[in-house]
Amino acid sequence: MGLSRREFIKRTAALTAASYVGMNLPFTNEKTVHAADADSWHKGTCRLCGSGCRLELGVKNGRAVALRGIPESRTNKGYLCMKGMLFYKLMGNNHPERLKKPLYRARKDQPFKEISWDEALDIAAKEFAKAVKKYGNDSVAYYGSGQALTEETYIFQKVMRGGLQTNNVEGNPRLCMASAVGGYITSFGADEPIGSYTNFERASCFFIIGSNTAEAHPVLFRRIMRRKLDNRDRVKVINADPRVSPTSRIADLHLQFEPGTDLALLNAMAYVILEDKLYDEDFINNYAVFRMGKEKKQVDFKKYKEFIKDYTPEKAARTCGGNITPEKIRKAAHWFAKSEGTMSLWTMGINQRKRGVWANNLIHNLHILTGQLCKPGADSFSLTGQPNACGGVREGGGLCHILPAHRLVKKDKLRHEVERLWGIPEGRIPPKPGYHTVAMFEAVNQGKIKAIWINCTSPAQSLPNCDKYRKGMKREDVFMVVTDIFPTKTTELANLILPTAFIFEKTGVYGCTERRSQLTAKAVDAPGEAKPEVWMVREWALRLAKELKDPVIKKCVEPFLGKEPDYELPKAIWDEYTQKLTKGRDNDLRGATYEVLEKLPDGVQWPAPTKEWALKGGTDIKFVRGLDPLADKHAKNELPFQFYGPAHPDRKLWIWLRPQKGPEEMPDSQYPFYLSTGRIIDHWHTSSMTGRIKELMRANPYAYVEINPKDAEKLGIKPGDMVEVVSRRGRNVLPAKVYVGPCEGMVFVYWHDQDEDRMINRVTKDAFDPGSKEPEFKICACRIKKVSGPKPLTPFLVQLKA
Amino acid sequence: MKSRKKSIEKNRSKNNSRRSFLKLSAAAAVLVGISEKGQAFTIKGSPVKTNVLRPPGAVPEEIFPSKCIRCGRCVEVCPYKAIRPLDIRSGIYAGTPLIFVKEVPCYLCMKCVEVCPTGTLRPISQEETRMGLAVIDKHACITWNQELALCRTCYNVCPFKEKAIKLNELRPVVIDEYCTGCGLCVHGCQITQQNGKKAINIEPIYAYRPVKW
Repeated sequence: MGLSRREFIKRTAALTAASYVGMNLPFTNEKTVHAADADSWHKGTCRLCGSGCRLELGVKNGRAVALRGIPESRTNKGYLCMKGMLFYKLMGNNHPERLKKPLYRARKDQPFKEISWDEALDIAAKEFAKAVKKYGNDSVAYYGSGQALTEETYIFQKVMRGGLQTNNVEGNPRLCMASAVGGYITSFGADEPIGSYTNFERASCFFIIGSNTAEAHPVLFRRIMRRKLDNRDRVKVINADPRVSPTSRIADLHLQFEPGTDLALLNAMAYVILEDKLYDEDFINNYAVFRMGKEKKQVDFKKYKEFIKDYTPEKAARTCGGNITPEKIRKAAHWFAKSEGTMSLWTMGINQRKRGVWANNLIHNLHILTGQLCKPGADSFSLTGQPNACGGVREGGGLCHILPAHRLVKKDKLRHEVERLWGIPEGRIPPKPGYHTVAMFEAVNQGKIKAIWINCTSPAQSLPNCDKYRKGMKREDVFMVVTDIFPTKTTELANLILPTAFIFEKTGVYGCTERRSQLTAKAVDAPGEAKPEVWMVREWALRLAKELKDPVIKKCVEPFLGKEPDYELPKAIWDEYTQKLTKGRDNDLRGATYEVLEKLPDGVQWPAPTKEWALKGGTDIKFVRGLDPLADKHAKNELPFQFYGPAHPDRKLWIWLRPQKGPEEMPDSQYPFYLSTGRIIDHWHTSSMTGRIKELMRANPYAYVEINPKDAEKLGIKPGDMVEVVSRRGRNVLPAKVYVGPCEGMVFVYWHDQDEDRMINRVTKDAFDPGSKEPEFKICACRIKKVSGPKPLTPFLVQLKA
Repeated sequence: MKSRKKSIEKNRSKNNSRRSFLKLSAAAAVLVGISEKGQAFTIKGSPVKTNVLRPPGAVPEEIFPSKCIRCGRCVEVCPYKAIRPLDIRSGIYAGTPLIFVKEVPCYLCMKCVEVCPTGTLRPISQEETRMGLAVIDKHACITWNQELALCRTCYNVCPFKEKAIKLNELRPVVIDEYCTGCGLCVHGCQITQQNGKKAINIEPIYAYRPVKW
């Protein structure tokens, strides 16, 4: 086998030694890299999903050579998935396709030319200044990302709001968790989950709805699975999903409802809880009120009971279709209510819905009714998809209606407070929220936005009905700056491409799902002339100040002048944000300084008002006296739980009366199938990063459409056949996978593929939730047809056309 | 008949003894020796080995070269270009079809079995296909040999997941009853060993061990 006896013994010894000290030996493609082979190991956070796995980067001769998990971390306990193990291949000079120089073209039909940073920033400043002067402040926009560092989002929105006086600050988290934000604020009065991952090990019932945790959050799924396997009889797992996914595999009960009937299912579970007296009367009396309608009218328990009468399990089972029976709903409700601690988990299946906020509310309702909150193992926990959607965008003010630290733009007091803290004149930040994502790109289509800066995301692929919005991005009178590390579908439409530093090539903080902020410091150099975004924004703002002759723009970046961009600059931004902006807010991060974050193997969960508290890891469960310092501080009575969230002045949890509402587009005779989209384990989002790791690309070279065997038989579709998926908006041709996954009458497509023929967002619908403005990616109507037999397909990634 | 004569000649030119050739073609399964690299048993001279397999429905390897007429229809019909004919250097096996699953695996579209005119590839269904058996190398597999890695690519890409590959406490296990040997897992496997093998490999079934009565 080409392995000498001596080599074999050596390796065995190395493995044994490694297992004693509890480290893992990361792999490269060619050979095993031993832990000792790297010169140094640098702590950081995974760049990919929202789990917040802590890992160490091995660096040898200034080059990234390996990644391994940190066993002391409280998020991943040392485990990593393959994406997390391999993304070092994108760092530094490891990948030849990295963008290395600023690229510019005056017109979008011309080829790109390499230019210097000075020229690039001058052009960006001139174009933005031109738009502001000619068309007003709201003709410029920033579209950011839940993958940008907190420091980056913060400084971008500061310059846009304080400097350019516009609230056109958005980000792709609008596409992924805006409904969860809406749900938490309307139900609990404060954004972000109450508990944390520690509940995985304490819960005795998991209610997983609209989430394929096994593929989207594999490392967290391991913890759920471990809990289930260690307590097979005691721990119940309920999975509610129109598609049988790898997550359903560990479920004791799989509720397969038809897409868009989730609200009826959740209300029916509430019906059973009321009918069988499974609710916690004391908890409701002490902590909850009932509300309904847009005007948030308070109603009593009797009214709620009347409302819920319409959702008998028998009726709901008929509405839900699929495999739902009244018995299954009853069983699920009983398990949910009677367990010692029930943890609900959901992601995009709930959030990306026409009534995503309502669906969130109804999950929270079940928890409030049964008192499954604030106690060990009980939590209503929304998983995030991006590594810094919580920390950077939700907390850092990265959406059009919010300012840093959970402040609303439209509240005069909070807005003026921010202006005062920034040291800029009062009234500088406009009182009207800017465009939300769909409206922003609609405005681009209409030519209302003349200059847009897209940072670290690819809306040309990730927006629903993306063909419609690509038309606007192609307009010659829209100046587009795109900052990214690789060519994407969006850089293809840009005027100016700015190469940025990747994670571990710059310093900054990521805040993961469980309110945990974690620092990643620079460990390797960025390739070519790639630079950290914070430096770009600072230099750009200085030029803007000159162009517009506005000293306030300079004032926005004044505290950061002269700082070295790799560490000092992000540190100064983080200090301003945490020490000034989060002071006295519910996400108080004053204790989580860079020094503290560097000392801890993982990070700090807010609220963390002091360094002492932060050094202990911060707050595990919010709102509980004794566990949360703010609960003690804000306590108004003797009750153990204090719901001090800023959005609920009555300090209560709100149970909402929300009726069943279907999706925007229902299947009809022309388009008889439901179309849903989702993620595969080996790829992440638009696959601009994971697609460039050849091991991952080989495992899943292209997207396919999953079809239920019964539907496939009716339509004469065999596995591997090329199938056309058509909606009112667009068309895809993908290979078929005939698989008992999606329920009958539904097809499912992965959305990572960059090939024009397999880019499913050309087909999806851009209807959005009227509350959260989050688009309904998950449900639209389509028809399918076999177009040919199997065909060999080649994977596709956007390459730079220079 | 002609082709057979030709192959005999070729065989001679390759310096194989006439006796051993006759032994082979005389239907009975004569399985000899362990290959040099300590791999599984193979029929002497047969190109079928780990990750190099006959298309679905193939008759036993002992009679394959005598039954296949080298018409190339299976090669032609394969939409994925997974099936390749062996070239002239392969002695009596020249012209016979093979699938190199490491490069292009078999997607089990079952087109080749429909077009085979001689029944060398018998018309079977997807589930009945037994091109080989996936074997996990637990020393190479990252999920088996390391405490903290979570990879289950082979499970994810398997067309019969939960049947042919199951997860046992997050680690992949092959169930021989259902494995078709299509090689999708081999193709997807993220670990390539120094000797070119993956952490999961398809072993031809017939060659696993010589049969003794």
